[in-house]
Amino acid sequence: MGPVTGSFFDGQHAGRHRVEVTLDEAAGELIVTGPSLPEALHWPCARLRALEDLARGYSLTLTLHAETEDEAPRDPARLTINEPAMVARIRELCPDLHKRDLHRGTWRKIWTRGAMAVGAVVLMLFVILPRMADTLATIIPVEREIAFGKSVIAQMERALGAADLGDLRCRGEAGQAALDRMVARLSEGQDLQYDLEVRVFDDGMVNAFAAPGGQIVIMRGLLEDASGPDAVAAVLAHEIGHVEARDATRIALRAAGSAGLLSMVLGDFTGGTIAVVLGERIMQASYTREAEAAADVFALDMLNAAGVDSSGMAEFFDYIGELQGEFQIPEYLSTHPASEARAERARDNAEGQEGTTPVLGEAAWQALKGICG
Amino acid sequence: MSEVQSRLTGEYHGERKPLFSLAFKTAILTALTVGIYRFWAKTRIRKYIWSSVAGQGDAFEYTGTGLEKFLGFLMAIVILAVYLGIIQMILFYFGLTLFTEPRTEAQMLAQMGAFYITFFAVLPLIFFAQYRARRYKLARSRWRGVRFGMEKGAWGYALRAIGHWLLTIVTLGLLLPRQTFYLEKYMTDRTWYGDGKFEQQGKWTALYPAMKHLAIGLAIMVVGSILGGVAGSGGIIVITALVGYIWFMVGLVSYRVKSFIYLTDTKVLDGAVTFDATPQTSTIVSTVLVGGLVVGLIVGLVFAVVGGVASAMMGPLMFGHPAAQVIGGLVIAAIYLLVLAMAGALSLVWITQPVIAHVVTEMKVHGAEHLNTIKQRAHDSGADAEGFADALDVGGAI
Repeated sequence: MGPVTGSFFDGQHAGRHRVEVTLDEAAGELIVTGPSLPEALHWPCARLRALEDLARGYSLTLTLHAETEDEAPRDPARLTINEPAMVARIRELCPDLHKRDLHRGTWRKIWTRGAMAVGAVVLMLFVILPRMADTLATIIPVEREIAFGKSVIAQMERALGAADLGDLRCRGEAGQAALDRMVARLSEGQDLQYDLEVRVFDDGMVNAFAAPGGQIVIMRGLLEDASGPDAVAAVLAHEIGHVEARDATRIALRAAGSAGLLSMVLGDFTGGTIAVVLGERIMQASYTREAEAAADVFALDMLNAAGVDSSGMAEFFDYIGELQGEFQIPEYLSTHPASEARAERARDNAEGQEGTTPVLGEAAWQALKGICG
Repeated sequence: MSEVQSRLTGEYHGERKPLFSLAFKTAILTALTVGIYRFWAKTRIRKYIWSSVAGQGDAFEYTGTGLEKFLGFLMAIVILAVYLGIIQMILFYFGLTLFTEPRTEAQMLAQMGAFYITFFAVLPLIFFAQYRARRYKLARSRWRGVRFGMEKGAWGYALRAIGHWLLTIVTLGLLLPRQTFYLEKYMTDRTWYGDGKFEQQGKWTALYPAMKHLAIGLAIMVVGSILGGVAGSGGIIVITALVGYIWFMVGLVSYRVKSFIYLTDTKVLDGAVTFDATPQTSTIVSTVLVGGLVVGLIVGLVFAVVGGVASAMMGPLMFGHPAAQVIGGLVIAAIYLLVLAMAGALSLVWITQPVIAHVVTEMKVHGAEHLNTIKQRAHDSGADAEGFADALDVGGAI
């Protein structure tokens, strides 16, 4: 059919050629002629490709499939036709108009580059950054670590709603003395690298944490809900384990190194934030779960050496398990190992213990529970 | 060859409906593929917008592909993962060794702020990525079948950008026009259409009038706080601060528009083709305000209706069987994604597209007959095809 008029660009010059386009249905080709073209062009239907996602849907811009070095295997020439009947006929007749052609070797490129990218990210996240963090954590001067730890605790206090720094700290003298005695009993005969500074914060959370540089904070809620002094001693020993392993510093260093890596990979797309948060949580959890398990082992050894019954530890983990109740977080999302398994290990350990004595007397225990006044 | 007139006016042929459905569809696909489709989404939207822009009926063409963007991104990831991971950790370590015990709130904040020095590790890369992204976009743009292009020079740009930014910050913004002018000149002087080279003429001091409304906004805030201080009236301070702030923000738009006009009018292509841009700050500001209002209204309405219906239906489920809870959670996530995708697509068709349409239709080209003599230029591999820009979140959706 045709001829109809069209605009032709030869891909070599920016001038527009006014052309006549004829569709030779028998030969299956477009014939393009024009006064400014040196000779008639024959574009076979099978090689015709249309540009996609164009604004003026009624018009058709054509090019040819060709092995060029361009970003897509396309001839640089373009032919635009606006005549509706002709556009419809070409769309009907040419089957590969919307075919996506790839340069040769594209799939190999995708696989090698993909493997390199995944490899680089995995290597960084799980080998290089953890090693580097471990090394840097051991060479950082202790006084710097202590200063960093104080700053972490200060931040924590702010987050818990203290108006001034130090507001949250419980200052009951008898209670602090009992706490110090507990620390002394646990650390006796141990060759600890850090001077421990243990304090209680006036907050209802059932929790305790170890900041860098030997600083340990226990929440009032934990003292209130603990089954007895032995349970608190177990938590304390666990936190001392974190301190000795420099876990807080190492994890902060790792987090700094991997910060933004995931959001870089996932990019800024609709719903991407959820994926980033979830991914970071999983990564963080895998880091800390290891450290938690190691601190548990350290705590059991410490309790055994100090002659403290680890049944307290088992009771504590049982209680935590109850608190979590049916809304158990899946282990890969949780920063801590499953509570039942931890309780079980503590109970097994307790069976082998002999000659244990309570870590604090009843009076001292009551003083510790009342440290926040 | 053909009948090109000497004067050419920009045309914009894009419409709301097809662009909305394209943007909405591709946003959903992107979410479903955990972000991988974003390279194709961006490509398709660009194809639409580029093909909407035309001169004498001949549309621009965007020839970039999603695949090359994806490959460029994979390459950028390898480099960035290694570089950023190591640099960030080392900087954090040195941040740690600067620590002392915090005694006051301010000290504590300052120390936490010290951790943001990792930002400086990324800064040169951001400028690098900006230049590379512009080079890629130009290398993938064609008009009448002829490629645009940009010479290599991303590191030179990053270096200059850092220098100019430092100067602008040190002089409290007084040298902003100098920065705007020379950074644009660096890029324009390396830009080509076919074998025709662009050149940025003019001088940087001519950009000072463009800062008028920035200065007025600042003056209102300063004079207001002095007057308020003297009169002892907090009301004056608050009101003038608010008025001054809004004035300043509109002033920022006005500066961008006016500097764009000046920098476009003083560009020359191949020593013969010149440009005349006449976009209006008021049109752009009102487009953004009206568009923002429309988008907000539609999204709010849809969210209220869909969310209401869903919670009425799903509400009882949430207290039931755990499996039902999971299904309920999935439905809520799906609704959230749909509304987000819709909001993104709506702001594209109600804000971005109208602004582009305004700028394009207010553009005239003089000496356009000379364009007939322009010849094709060689293909540019496109380097990382915006991979760095994507990984570092430089530049928006298009």
